[in-house]
Amino acid sequence: MVEVKLHDIGEGMTEADINCYLVKPGDFVKADDPLVEVQTDKMTAEIPAPRSGVIKELLLTPGQTVKVGTTLLIMEDSSGGSKTVELQKVAEAVNSEAPQADAAVVVLDRPAEVKVPVGVSARLGRILASPYTRKVARENAVNIMEVKGTGPAGRITEEDILAFVKLRDHGGASTSEAGSEQQVPNISKYASEQEVPNVSQRASESKAPNVSEVGSEVKTAAGHETVGKSQDILPFRGRRKQIAKKMVQSIYTIPHCTHFEEIDVSELIALREEIKASGNSISATAFFIKALSIGLKEFPVFNAKLDEENESIQLLREHHIGIAVDTPEGLIVPVIRNVEQKNLKQIHDEMKRLTKLALDDKLTVQDISGGTFTISNVGPLGGSIGATPIIQHPQTALVSFHKTKKRPVATDQDEIVIRSIMNLSMAFDHRVADGATAVAFTNRFAQLIENPKLMLLELM
Amino acid sequence: MKTAVQTKTLTLVQAITDGLDTMLSESKEVILLGEDIGKNGGVFRATDGLQEKYGEDRVIDTPLSEAGFVGAAIGMAVNGFRPVVEIQFLGFIYPAYEQIMTHASRLRMRTLGHYTVPMVIRAPYGAGVRAPEIHCDSTESLFTHMPGMKVVCPSNAYDAKGLMIAAIEDPDPVLFLEPMRSYRSSRGEVPEGKYTVEIGKGKKLTEGDDVTVIAWGAMVPVAMKAAEDMKQKGINCEVLDLRTLYPIDKDLVIESVQKTGRTVIVHEAHATGGTGSDLISLINDEAFLYQKAPAERVTGYDTPVPYFGFEDHYLPTPKRVAAAIEKVMKF
Repeated sequence: MVEVKLHDIGEGMTEADINCYLVKPGDFVKADDPLVEVQTDKMTAEIPAPRSGVIKELLLTPGQTVKVGTTLLIMEDSSGGSKTVELQKVAEAVNSEAPQADAAVVVLDRPAEVKVPVGVSARLGRILASPYTRKVARENAVNIMEVKGTGPAGRITEEDILAFVKLRDHGGASTSEAGSEQQVPNISKYASEQEVPNVSQRASESKAPNVSEVGSEVKTAAGHETVGKSQDILPFRGRRKQIAKKMVQSIYTIPHCTHFEEIDVSELIALREEIKASGNSISATAFFIKALSIGLKEFPVFNAKLDEENESIQLLREHHIGIAVDTPEGLIVPVIRNVEQKNLKQIHDEMKRLTKLALDDKLTVQDISGGTFTISNVGPLGGSIGATPIIQHPQTALVSFHKTKKRPVATDQDEIVIRSIMNLSMAFDHRVADGATAVAFTNRFAQLIENPKLMLLELM
Repeated sequence: MKTAVQTKTLTLVQAITDGLDTMLSESKEVILLGEDIGKNGGVFRATDGLQEKYGEDRVIDTPLSEAGFVGAAIGMAVNGFRPVVEIQFLGFIYPAYEQIMTHASRLRMRTLGHYTVPMVIRAPYGAGVRAPEIHCDSTESLFTHMPGMKVVCPSNAYDAKGLMIAAIEDPDPVLFLEPMRSYRSSRGEVPEGKYTVEIGKGKKLTEGDDVTVIAWGAMVPVAMKAAEDMKQKGINCEVLDLRTLYPIDKDLVIESVQKTGRTVIVHEAHATGGTGSDLISLINDEAFLYQKAPAERVTGYDTPVPYFGFEDHYLPTPKRVAAAIEKVMKF
């Protein structure tokens, strides 16, 4: 049995907060595997395993503040060696000078590696946050250094912490990942409108009125002035503000060019009916995604990342396609990974799974990060015939599908027929690609959708 | 304590007279001393009619010597009396400062508890009544620094009488600050007979979640007015009347500040070394992690209280308090 204790990991620290355990009881760990992440007032560090063995018991809960010398967890030697043997082995392995009497209790004396979470190094320094915000962070086991502040002068606000927690609890994945890669649903105007009711709801829950808004005269959308009526005002902070920030970043960084196309989906509808008759059902969006993926193989420039610093455009081989999902909590963009390796059924199933998770508010950070291309299917919402989708920086393109309508169409034989036509809007980064390429790309997409059997050729 | 059911509507200064009257009639040990408090009834008529009622031996006109009659009162207190002295204005207390700080406040400790000094020092104080220089000083924190002295400050008639009786009954010296500006500015229902308001206990005047506003004496109506104005803007202030400046009602302050996370302190004394500083330290000690914004102080300025032409510019106003509230809310 080995008790792993909190040791002084530098600068004469006397206590640390437990951020999270990286292992659970029953886990087998090798020597130097990280066991628990702690945070002192200066840094975040991982306490490594003094030796290999099986985790027996975690003694603390995240958020607790403990003194140096406190036992963090208990490990068991996987060989099940007796305590006495353990004594010696451990004493030798870890600290040859450890007094025998204390050796059952292993306190690492050597300086541990001090690891700063990814993406945080640049922000080492003063973190602006009120004590109350820090308290909220502590209570939610949030490392405040990983949170991006939206308050005055970049101050972290209570709302930032809560938004961070919400994002993290979507998946419970490493917080640093969530922090460094803010996932903001990147969907044009429509997305913003969708978000509004949620934000106002949050505002009504929030206790403290925002003075900057209350009390000042505000012109409402309708143009009339209201004085101090908080119900007419939506707070602009938290997630809404994050979205705004992302939008501004995207629209100011990326020269957006939007290109529109009409696609005849009549054949696709017929094919889906056929498939349905056989007892299977594949959504139209799954076909769109597959067709896009096929197109992206031929026009990889739209599945790319511009690296201005290194003056290069990285063409990404993997097609991780984000799909905007309208949930009661707001718009969220889960990512179907490796679409290029998936068949239609797999894409369909994955999309269904992610949509359900999104609706149940159970998406993990993994589920919503790493997209390389994004689609937004606004067709089911009806109405729109075109849009200017705002690209999810640093991606290169985003495609919106609009409502399918039956329309009279002139054929090559100069006959007028009724066909099901869907509009498509494609926004792309004009730095990376030109209009001609975009047209070629959507033409290829249209070809595959207008004659879905062509997709057979692409079967793996 | 008898529970009085009958009440009368009194001004703050009348309530003080009523409190003194009540105690004079109840206990022969209660003696009043001060300049012109007898025949003249005191500068502000706080002792009006009491000499006539209780005689020259109980309500004593003293020579113009603060050190003299405060010192005499200390001697009387040690020997079984319960003297109440009137300093005409708090700004005139400095000649007696030596008596207060080196004797009244320390005798209990110096005699290892054998003697206490059950005396009350009444002192009208504060600006806003167009009085000349020195008459308007608000130097309460000179007296809260020395352990042994209790310092109370009512803001309304009910508290004035209750605190006065509690102060006279208290075994230790109590500095009883009377906000001149509030003497006759409002009236309140005051029970007849004897009742007390506990020394060391503040009072929550309004409930609110957004910000705690702490005031005492003449600043209470100012704080209340600001809180009222804020309410129309959707900000709910919790106004606390501290009532006792030493010992401060820590529980009341901390509980409120932990709830709201924001604090505005209003006092007319100078900012430097003022009781507001102590309150902020207290909040730091006990409620640091609850703070959403740094506590704000709305105070007089670090100058002597100016001549009356500028008094209004010196004193905190509801507007200044409102600005501070908005500041902590916007932080």
